[in-house]
Amino acid sequence: MVTNTTPSVAARGLTQRIGRTTILNGIDLQISGGVVGLLGPNGAGKTTLLRTLATVLSPASGELQLLGHDPRRSSERTAIRRRLGYLPQHLGYYPGFTVFEFVEYFALLKEMPADEVRPAVARAIERVGLADRAKSKLKTLSGGMLRRVGIAQAIVNDPDLLLLDEPTAGLDPEQRVLFRALLRDAGQHATVIISTHLIEDVAAACTAMALLDGGRIVFRGTPDELSQLGDGGIGDSALERGYTRVLTGARG
Amino acid sequence: MSDHVPPDVDFGRVWSGVAGRVWSPPTSAVERAMARLLGSSAFARVIVTTPSLVVSWLLASVVVLVVGIVVTAQTGEPWIAVLAPVLAGIGIAFAYGPGVDPAWELSRSMATSERAVLLSRVVAVFAVNALLGLLASIIVGDALTLTLQWLVPMAMLSALGLAAASASGSAPVGAAAVVLGWALIVLGGSVSLGGMAAVQDARLMPFYSALAVLLACVALALPNRKATGW
Repeated sequence: MVTNTTPSVAARGLTQRIGRTTILNGIDLQISGGVVGLLGPNGAGKTTLLRTLATVLSPASGELQLLGHDPRRSSERTAIRRRLGYLPQHLGYYPGFTVFEFVEYFALLKEMPADEVRPAVARAIERVGLADRAKSKLKTLSGGMLRRVGIAQAIVNDPDLLLLDEPTAGLDPEQRVLFRALLRDAGQHATVIISTHLIEDVAAACTAMALLDGGRIVFRGTPDELSQLGDGGIGDSALERGYTRVLTGARG
Repeated sequence: MSDHVPPDVDFGRVWSGVAGRVWSPPTSAVERAMARLLGSSAFARVIVTTPSLVVSWLLASVVVLVVGIVVTAQTGEPWIAVLAPVLAGIGIAFAYGPGVDPAWELSRSMATSERAVLLSRVVAVFAVNALLGLLASIIVGDALTLTLQWLVPMAMLSALGLAAASASGSAPVGAAAVVLGWALIVLGGSVSLGGMAAVQDARLMPFYSALAVLLACVALALPNRKATGW
């Protein structure tokens, strides 16, 4: 359980590089709960930031604490990972696995207690609306269903920190509405960070947001606060106008 | 019959327990045996998902060894001892990594360490290939001599495949290193010492052993740092 005294994510001067290219440039971030949306154009660094928070990548420099632990230490990294849920942008899967087997596999790798695994897998599959496909092979599922399988594996351990990269990609409008409800529910007792291109997802489900551009955070606040900055911006909604206005301002 | 439900009955918990049993497919005999052997369902599934232990891969390995058996029987040269180590080395290069394991990215965020996953698969691939090599050697009829000829080179090429794949982050590079490295050794041995000295000259075995240990140490030091920086 996340407490208000310990931030789920505390990053200071976080930098990430691939070769000579700087992907994240001195990110300062403190998140203590709720549903946080990461918005930004392609190449802004959203996925790299999520991969770093998911402990897939180590920072090139800067300070990072996740759930009160230092991921640079092996034992603490393991402790973080037990309480982590992560949906990568591109979910790789074993085509011959059933939905249940796939979610169960990652529940096992998360080192959940053996007697809790199967009921937890059943709950996760039910929550993403795939109960009727639990015994289906992954190779028979649509893209949207596979995305939901990915979400199921991410939430199977009731994580305290849930990181979702483009979770609504491929979901139809009805599924997206259901998913936002799941997000809001998860945000009641965990910190949820989602990366998305869809501003309406942020408006509907996020309690806070950060806007990234060029590896830097150029706005932090609530969706309402971003909307209020929208005068003179381009877009169909106040939030879109705020988004374009802030990006334009950040680029000088 | 009363339809009264006592307040301490949690139907949600009951349902998830029942659904967990109903939806869970029967585990294969191999996976059950692995789970018993290792005392871990997680590692049993890690091993059965090894890309270079899928049925098609194993069939291809068997075909190569059958060719080796035929050629060995016809020529009297120990082709089994030349082929078996290469199969293990390539199999280990393709046991885990980007572009090889579909769920590699996700696996790297799991509590079960990447190194433990890698090592369990390496041991499994080596064991399976050693078993196949042993069966081939028995079929040829000179099991002890042949096995002694390929076992140490197999360990060396397995370590080479692991080290090269880990250092480059690429399974094909690891496999290429195995094939190229072994080809150079076999051809070099043939030119300088004659025949199939690479597997027949007992003086080379300490060299292979030392190289196997060195490359294994390099491989163990590499994976996490190369892939994740941790």
